[in-house]
Amino acid sequence: MNGAQVGFFILAGLLIVSSLWVVFQRNVVHSAMALVAALFLVAILFLTLNAPMVGVLQILVYAGAIMVLFLFVIMFLNPIGLEQRRRLWWGFGALAGLLLAGALVPVLTNGDAPRDPVVATELFGGPEELARSLFTDFVLPFEIASILLLVAIVGAVVLAKREP
Amino acid sequence: MEHNVLTYMIFIPLAGAVVVLLLPSQSYHLIRWVSAAVTVPPLLMASWLYANFDTTTVGFQFVQKAAWIPAYNIQYFVGVDGVSISMVLLTALLSFLCIFASFGIDKAVKGYFALFLLLDAGMMGVFCALDFFLFYIFWEVMLLPMYFLIGIWGGPRREYAAIKFFLYTLFGSVLMLLAILALYFNTNPHTFDMTVMMAQAKNYSTQSLPFWPFNELRWGFQHVVWMAMFIGFAIKIPAFPFHTWLPDAHVEAPTAISVILAGVLLKMGTYGILRINYPMLPVATADMAYWLLGALGAWNIIYGALCAMAQTDLKKLVAYSSVSHMGYVMLGMASFTTQGINGAVLQMFNHGTITAMLFLLVGVIYDRAHHRNIEGFGGLAAVMPVYTGITALAFFASMGLPGLSGFISEVLVLLGVWQKYPGLAILGATGVILTAGYLLWTVQRVYLGPTNEKYKTIPEIDGREIFTLVPLGAIVILVGVYPSVVLDLLRTSLDNLNQIIIPHLPS
Amino acid sequence: MDASLIPLLPGAQVLLTALVVMLLDLFIDEHERGLLAWISLLGLALCGAEAILLWGSSEGTFGDTLLLDNFALFFTQIFIAVAALTVLSSMRYVRETGIHEGEFYSLILFATTGMIVMAAANDLMVFFLGLETMSVAVYVLTGMWRSSARSSEAAMKYFLMGAFATGFLLYGIALIYGATGSTNLNQISAYLLEPQGQWPPYLFVGGLLLLVGFGFKVGAVPFHFWIPDVYEGAPTPVTGFMAVAVKAAAFAAWARILMHELSPLDSDWALPLRVLAIATMTIGNLLAISQPSVKRMLAYSSIAHAGYLLIGIVAGEEWGSTSLLFYLATYAPATFGAFAVITLLTEQDKPKEDYGHFAGLGFKRPFVAMAMSLFMLSLAGFPPLAGFTGKFHIFRSAIIAGHTDLAIIGVLNSLLSVIYYLRVIVMMYMNEGGVKGKSFIESPYLYTAVGLAAAATIYLGVLPMRTLEWSRSAFSSLF
Repeated sequence: MNGAQVGFFILAGLLIVSSLWVVFQRNVVHSAMALVAALFLVAILFLTLNAPMVGVLQILVYAGAIMVLFLFVIMFLNPIGLEQRRRLWWGFGALAGLLLAGALVPVLTNGDAPRDPVVATELFGGPEELARSLFTDFVLPFEIASILLLVAIVGAVVLAKREP
Repeated sequence: MEHNVLTYMIFIPLAGAVVVLLLPSQSYHLIRWVSAAVTVPPLLMASWLYANFDTTTVGFQFVQKAAWIPAYNIQYFVGVDGVSISMVLLTALLSFLCIFASFGIDKAVKGYFALFLLLDAGMMGVFCALDFFLFYIFWEVMLLPMYFLIGIWGGPRREYAAIKFFLYTLFGSVLMLLAILALYFNTNPHTFDMTVMMAQAKNYSTQSLPFWPFNELRWGFQHVVWMAMFIGFAIKIPAFPFHTWLPDAHVEAPTAISVILAGVLLKMGTYGILRINYPMLPVATADMAYWLLGALGAWNIIYGALCAMAQTDLKKLVAYSSVSHMGYVMLGMASFTTQGINGAVLQMFNHGTITAMLFLLVGVIYDRAHHRNIEGFGGLAAVMPVYTGITALAFFASMGLPGLSGFISEVLVLLGVWQKYPGLAILGATGVILTAGYLLWTVQRVYLGPTNEKYKTIPEIDGREIFTLVPLGAIVILVGVYPSVVLDLLRTSLDNLNQIIIPHLPS
Repeated sequence: MDASLIPLLPGAQVLLTALVVMLLDLFIDEHERGLLAWISLLGLALCGAEAILLWGSSEGTFGDTLLLDNFALFFTQIFIAVAALTVLSSMRYVRETGIHEGEFYSLILFATTGMIVMAAANDLMVFFLGLETMSVAVYVLTGMWRSSARSSEAAMKYFLMGAFATGFLLYGIALIYGATGSTNLNQISAYLLEPQGQWPPYLFVGGLLLLVGFGFKVGAVPFHFWIPDVYEGAPTPVTGFMAVAVKAAAFAAWARILMHELSPLDSDWALPLRVLAIATMTIGNLLAISQPSVKRMLAYSSIAHAGYLLIGIVAGEEWGSTSLLFYLATYAPATFGAFAVITLLTEQDKPKEDYGHFAGLGFKRPFVAMAMSLFMLSLAGFPPLAGFTGKFHIFRSAIIAGHTDLAIIGVLNSLLSVIYYLRVIVMMYMNEGGVKGKSFIESPYLYTAVGLAAAATIYLGVLPMRTLEWSRSAFSSLF
């Protein structure tokens, strides 16, 4: 076991702990903070996979913007005391989790690597490479995504606009 | 030879329906007369057909053929032969007369006449279609206007009657559709062309299906298809036990619609069996004919007559008499003798004219008295002599008095059946007696005896009504005296049909 | 990389119109807003003309992520026609209900853009973005009737369910990408056709998730439960748009992705698809019978029709797929027309959607009632109307493909459906009273939309040949 692997297992262990923290924590704010930690750890995993750009985006978008919104909504609604144990949902969640685990076991133990494992070079996840693929191979999806965002903005405005 | 006269006969009423829809809805007179005018050309063409029909050939005449959906071998293909010509004539005549019988309608007049003309087109199409797909479409096209005509312009329980009629017939047509598809996929190349299907009749398997347990009774592909078709048609005839929609539909339907229903629509059941089951599925026909056509027909005769005897509603009585008379058609068809089958088709034509008269006559009295209770009249002969005279003619024809048309066809049927199944012939003959019984009893209760005080001043039948009845009466007498006017049309084709089946009959 | 812009033309045309409508809305007065509808119609008409001119072309662009072939053009035509009818039938409705016109029309156009992208997408990413563009626009359209609580609730429900389905789709796409190393359908197909030992198991999981996602989008049982509430709550013209165009778009993508490009996996999803088809038809029809509201009944009926369409997917191959396309074309006018008639019944801002509200319509508005009867009969599958020819081809293809049992279940189901379709007709003609004189949206444009739908219903029933030919060449352009 080399150093990189040791690092991975430490990161992965922390990730699992913080994810469980999100689920089992009764205080919503604490849950949210644990989620920030989990997302941050995922970002570090990306960095170790030679994907610095994705890692940075992960921090910026998820840990930064989206979690801020989460916390904002939590503070806005102040849902202390709303959180109650619901047996039905626990059962449902546990079942879904088991199913997913069951589906993952054969995948993980099978050992089939993807046919064309993407070569993770130094450059692979850097901003330059990402930008290149975004503006060459994926320029069309990129442009369509801008339409999607425009539609979403129009929609949000329409639905939130004050009625005359 | 290509000929588009039949196409005109089908599509002129359709075009007329569109024209009627475009007329202003308040101008009742205009709508009525335009509708009447639309039914005249088909009637004239029918007379032309009659004059030019070649009675010596077996094949289809006046055919027109055009590709419609070539990808599936679906064609527009129409033509007539001896089996259908008399029905085409009957349809043209009754449509024309019933327009006049409908002049009394005053609710949503435009819709009524438009639907009536659509119905006319559908009926004409069913009798002329020689492509199975086209046949099915016309069959359904005819179902819908009928449903509306009963459901909107009918009597108090019209909604119930209309839905009952609709569900029965729809059930039958779905079975028919499945049977059509089964034949389509077993015809090589896949086609809906009826003439091709008839030519390939011997290719339709008669091997017993693997799961069929009775060795002595064949039950193969042909038999299954035959049953599906038969049930579809039996509902229309209507054969026992599928007849229960008929009395309800007749009682609720307006007069003219009853006439069309009894005069034309019922014939489609027996016509369908002759057109489709006989030539396309001859082996199954031969196997099934005795029980499902012959015995069931005889039972229909007796059962219908007994039910008619128990009725107090005049219209219901006529309706059950239809069940009884259609039994003769089934019985005659099952005999596979020249007399029997010719008698059967002649009976179809005669029943069309006679029952039309009966329903028109019931309509006349209903319009005046606003009820149809047999016990509620009495002695009408003294007040309405002309009406009573015409009624007597129709009743006598219906019970088969010599010299009138009903006699000829019933005698032919019984003669034919006697050669093959004497037992059934005796049952059928019993039906004649029962018929005479209920009709004479009705005449006595309604027209003879002391005049009912309430109806002392009831007005006599008027000119328009007489106009609708006279042509039918004339035909009844003419066919009664000189049946060859119709029989000559039928003979060649029907004999040919017999020849298809006879080799397959169980000895 | 090739970057021909021609394949983008139809989508770009609609997008441009959407932008023009959106911007122009800011600069014109309240009472001139009717102009926006006309601009939308003009843009759609131009797009339609382009689609006709481009018919027969077969060109990919941007590394074959988007294909302009007859398949895409066939669906583009359906989307445009439905969008145009929606605009026509909304022109008065939006005023009565206080919906913002500018945004309404531009969102319809945005949704149409998304659909056009979906039908032409040859890459899972492009398909996904097209789907989202369409979905987001339709979520918003559903909730645009702000003063109606039902509408807001439907939008919320639709959004949540849609997001759920999106999750499935995206996860499925990710797994397929992981297994095959590409999101491009050509390369995925090439990978699947390669003779090799074993596919990684998560490829099947990916395929299954894709199936579930599509199931949600077309409303197949057991993923149908959002449909009735959403369809009922949405503004009626939008419901018509959803029931036809959104469903058609989902089927378009489904046909392209699952049926053709992933067809080597056929044998693996034949069984789930069969079960899905049977359950969808039967449960849709059974639940439709007991609905008190016509709009809800139509929602369930659209579920049942999704079931018939699934037969086409199961049957697959040339005939099944051709009949799928043709069925969508025949299903479109009748369903849209029925919703347009419900739109017409709206009074001020009160929806009138129960069976009782149709009572006596046959005498008050004979032509509207006649059109509605045509739509109902066509949906029930009566000859010689569009629904009959559509069903005929679907069932026929099932028999040819050896699924006789599916065809028989389908026929029995359509018999069952007659019960509730007929009820509308019975109400209109055989019950008096109910509809009062001045309680309709009397807009000539709405009447035009109804009339066009009725004409199409008859045309496709009597002369199906040309459209059938189009569906066939659309399908064969996939190869």
